[in-house]
Amino acid sequence: MDSTPDSAADLYAWFGVDDTVLAKVLAAALARGAEYADLYFEHAAGHSVTLEDGIISRASSSVDRGVGIRAVVGDQTGYAYSEDLDVASMVEAARTAASIAQGGAAVAPVGFQTGRHADLYSIPRAWESIGIVEKLPLLQRVEARTRALDPAVEKVSVSWGDADDRVLVVTSEGTVWADRRPMARIAVSVTAVKDSEVQSGSANLAGRHGMDWFDEARLDGMCKDAVERTMILFEARRPPAGEMPVVLAAGPSGILLHEAVGHGMEADFNRKGTSIYSTLLGQKVAPDFVTVVDSAIHPGERGALNVDDEGSPTERTVLVENGVMASYLHDRISAKHYGVAPTGSGRRESFRHLPMPRMRCTYMENGPHTREEIIASVRHGIVAETFTNGQVQIGAGDFTFFIKNGWLIEDGKVTAPIKDTNIIGNGPEALRDVTMVADDMKLDTGGWTCGKEGQRVPVSQGMPTVLVSRLTVGGESR
Amino acid sequence: MSARSDELIGQATYAVGRALTAGAADAVASASWGRSLDFAWREGKLEKVQENTSRSLGIAVYVDGRYSTHGTNDLDPARLTAFIREAVALTRALEPDPFRKIPDPALYEGRSDVDLDLIDPSLVTLSREERLAICARIEERARAHEDVISATSGIADGHGISARVSSNGFSGSRERTSLWYGAEVTMREGETKRPEAYRWVGGLHRDGLPSPDEVGDEALRRCVTRIGAGKVPSVRTTMVIDREAAAGFIGRIFGAMSARAIQQKRSFLAGKKGERIASDVLTLRDDPFVVRGMGSRHYDGEGIAAKRRTIVEGGILQSYYVDTYYGRKLEWEPTSGSASNILFQHGEEGRDELLTAADSGIYVESWLGGNANPTTGDFSFGVRGRLIEGGSLGAPVSEMNVTGNYLDILQHLAAVGNDPVPWSAFRAPTLAFEDVQFSGT
Repeated sequence: MDSTPDSAADLYAWFGVDDTVLAKVLAAALARGAEYADLYFEHAAGHSVTLEDGIISRASSSVDRGVGIRAVVGDQTGYAYSEDLDVASMVEAARTAASIAQGGAAVAPVGFQTGRHADLYSIPRAWESIGIVEKLPLLQRVEARTRALDPAVEKVSVSWGDADDRVLVVTSEGTVWADRRPMARIAVSVTAVKDSEVQSGSANLAGRHGMDWFDEARLDGMCKDAVERTMILFEARRPPAGEMPVVLAAGPSGILLHEAVGHGMEADFNRKGTSIYSTLLGQKVAPDFVTVVDSAIHPGERGALNVDDEGSPTERTVLVENGVMASYLHDRISAKHYGVAPTGSGRRESFRHLPMPRMRCTYMENGPHTREEIIASVRHGIVAETFTNGQVQIGAGDFTFFIKNGWLIEDGKVTAPIKDTNIIGNGPEALRDVTMVADDMKLDTGGWTCGKEGQRVPVSQGMPTVLVSRLTVGGESR
Repeated sequence: MSARSDELIGQATYAVGRALTAGAADAVASASWGRSLDFAWREGKLEKVQENTSRSLGIAVYVDGRYSTHGTNDLDPARLTAFIREAVALTRALEPDPFRKIPDPALYEGRSDVDLDLIDPSLVTLSREERLAICARIEERARAHEDVISATSGIADGHGISARVSSNGFSGSRERTSLWYGAEVTMREGETKRPEAYRWVGGLHRDGLPSPDEVGDEALRRCVTRIGAGKVPSVRTTMVIDREAAAGFIGRIFGAMSARAIQQKRSFLAGKKGERIASDVLTLRDDPFVVRGMGSRHYDGEGIAAKRRTIVEGGILQSYYVDTYYGRKLEWEPTSGSASNILFQHGEEGRDELLTAADSGIYVESWLGGNANPTTGDFSFGVRGRLIEGGSLGAPVSEMNVTGNYLDILQHLAAVGNDPVPWSAFRAPTLAFEDVQFSGT
């Protein structure tokens, strides 16, 4: 394998198709009058390895391939897929998808031109071509480093996963898009014992990167994070219960934007009027220094995409610009509904799934304050530092995120560590309550996955240090 | 046994043969086939139809004391043979693991053949027209209120068969159908709020499900009760959990019962077998033989013959979930690595009596985010529900958290209802806990 991005011709050969076959399958999808149809060919190959109790104890590999076929009329969609890539099987699936429409045949393209897109994640060697023997030393290094960091560490497990995804999108507009998407992730879990008390923690690194990105400095940093996050839990307590100011640390705190803003800005919800942001476009929702972005164009990020999963070019979409709601995240269906261009946000988990508007890499731009000013401004509150998960109800606007590690702030100073605390708030209220934004934005290097209607897609997020003046902290008060 | 399960047994047998030929000492293969059909309906018309048919093959190989697992949906014989050959070669690059062995065939013995009635043949012939009529009926009832912004109804059914074959004598297949239907409703509240609620019901059989009218009515009723939801001051009070939300709370303790969690020192229930972990009203049984049960099975994921087990008896922890691998590491006899159907010993009273007994508190209808730490038992979850006032349901509650530790809160389980939820393998009834920390304003 070499470093040249796969061309459409490469993927035609890979999937065993040509223009004639593609035209025939699309014609079947359009045979009952659909306005639009597309084919999503995918071949996903993955490998994983686990090190536990000091040995490389198991590995796995997977191959998943097929074609998803979609027919669209207005906001109605018919969908079917085939795991067999012979013409008869594909045409049969196309007929099933076509049944959403009830009219005569629409015109199908006969020739195709290749769409040109960015190159955000070319890697020197494809994951498919890297044998397991080359990966094992990474896991062994992580285990050894982690164990060496603290004698209280009793258990270390390390897991590795990489994926090599070939995608060919063919649209009834007569365009084909070829993309090859790498992904890799390493995670370390630590259990430490002090006297009879047991605590556990973890850290991970992930992105659309090659082997070279997992260098010693990054791996060692991850080991240190995992051990520090675990050892601090022996001192940590629950914060008090109730409403208080919450300082979001730079980096993974972007989870707040993902839950509180991003989901509600996905245009399928707004098209149906089910999002709390359905009527807020163009309105002032936050202070002037708040700008929230969802971008596909950051190289190597989990949310990076050269082209989206329905053949729309990707971009940097500004959701909130200087405090004003600026744009929803659109797929083809919602863009047509609103009469705007798609934002390249149409994503899907696999060829088995329908695309819908999804986030990519969501973050807040830098603001005018500093982290020191923010901490000093809080009398009683908390700092939220690492997270495990979050959720939102897009209509009521209530969102949550779970803090794994954080700190109390007392009289403008960071004091005791806190742990395992759920935070709950309301999206528009939290945006309004963003009272300070620092100048230290960073994207998180951890591996976030977003779930929506049963479909999981890789995303990333980032944040400068931010103060939200009031959120409800799931603490304990005796 | 159907022709399709024979075919899957044949595929799995073929794959095991290829693995042994490639040099594996042992192998276990599973071949699966599944079909599903999914309709979504909104504003009086079909919004989405999706039809899926899929098949796949998974194989675990044991090579020179090393172990790996592999899956593919490319079943072309030549490519499958190459895939398995590569899988065996890859395994040789790992390290030998003295604890990894194919399950002892004695564990396969004694497999029950009781009829679990997991297949509803009428689902195969459920027509498109009938499906659309169910969707239309649900949507019509769910949007019967002037403040409804959107109601989306849907119906989905599935049919799956899987076969499992091992090189040391296991052979089995299982088949099941399922049907779900329901709706999601969004209503207008003030300027921008759009509270939502849903109601979905399902089972392996269509027979016995609430009617589409009842489902649509319930979806709307739930949404109407969300209007005006808000938080109240932080309080320690009684928590009554709706039966449909109970699995989301109690289900968390099962992770800490696994041999893996215990061996990896990530379980707050390690060392607690035979000890009191909950108040004496908690008795939990794992029953794989519930007729039409969503978790019913004759054998588990390793081929171990299914057995009824008591997990917690009168608050005393009786049994862990022990698979063969972590069982060997711990030197424990395997039970099963995964739960089947979880049954609660019912109390005498239903939800309304539990609310009356509580008098005041918070009734949790669903969770919003949150998490639990399996190592320590610490948990913190977002909640939606209703205030309990004078023994009855009052104003809707939102944007609050409940926080505590399982080892503590399980001791405060005051009552177990008599109304288990039917559409889940986790058949929880209404549960009442005393002295629970809620965070609000």
